[in-house]
Amino acid sequence: MWLYEKKLEYPVNITKKDLKMAKYLMAQYGGPDGELAASLRYINQRYTMPDEKGRALLTDIGTEELAHVEIISAMISQLTAGATIKELEDAGLGAHFTQHDHALFPTDAVGVPFTTAYIEATGDYIADLESNMAAEQRARATYEHLMDLTEDPDLLAPLAFLRQREIIHYQRFKELRNYYLKKKI
Amino acid sequence: MNKYNITEDYYNYINNNYNQPVYNQANFNKAAMSNSLYDPYNGFIRGNMFPDLYNAYKTANPYEIRPMNEQAELLTYIDALSFATIDLNLYLDIYPDDRDALALFNQYRIQKNEYMKKYESKYGPLLINSDALENYPWAWDNNPWPWQNK
Repeated sequence: MWLYEKKLEYPVNITKKDLKMAKYLMAQYGGPDGELAASLRYINQRYTMPDEKGRALLTDIGTEELAHVEIISAMISQLTAGATIKELEDAGLGAHFTQHDHALFPTDAVGVPFTTAYIEATGDYIADLESNMAAEQRARATYEHLMDLTEDPDLLAPLAFLRQREIIHYQRFKELRNYYLKKKI
Repeated sequence: MNKYNITEDYYNYINNNYNQPVYNQANFNKAAMSNSLYDPYNGFIRGNMFPDLYNAYKTANPYEIRPMNEQAELLTYIDALSFATIDLNLYLDIYPDDRDALALFNQYRIQKNEYMKKYESKYGPLLINSDALENYPWAWDNNPWPWQNK
């Protein structure tokens, strides 16, 4: 089971409303390489990891990714707080308003809804770990694109933190993959 | 000194308010690994405890945390220590035989728990199994929730 800790892993306190960035950030909420997909992917893959190292790492990274879903959600929520319909329309969020008003809804940056197709699972732990390494790299690249799109330090600080976590997760997945290959499990 | 210089405040706070840390009483090998890693605050603001893995993008220096009040400041110490345990947790999953990392993990874990108690006694529970829930009335649903702008 999971125990909720009533704090963010990294603080989010956004002072400037920015609806365009809110739209772009949805890539990391409900997009193919977003935090929601990552969390569900790892938590789901842990059942077919071959030993304790794999079961532990997939559980723990999957758990941390849930905390990242919360950080991204907090950013989108704060960026859109109090936005008028006109402001949402101008930022390309008129369609979002039509279906969801001011609610959060996991889509990618273009508006494509989240799909379970993002949760890769082959049952082959080498294939899954290498897929996860690639997913972490794609997420890192996406964070860099998001950082390229803003100069607001309220956004850059949590984005830099989240990008750095992709680097660590990539490293740990790689170490686990190499350990399995060497051990010929 | 800037009131919100959290790096300096972090060390002052730990030195002044943390009498007889529990970890000093335990037989931990504290020094060995802590020299090669960032301290919890500097690891936290980088999102990475491991200097050899740190890789910055766009910004030359990591963003400092600037808490606006005492509550946020205390929470920053918890955030930093909590982050240190998360990053060491992932490392230990792969290297469970690393005694130095295990000692450091426990040092930060115990420190975090102490700060959590201090915070919760003043500002309310952070966990649903907190002792702060003994107080009347039910305090879990107190504002603000973590995603709300402060």
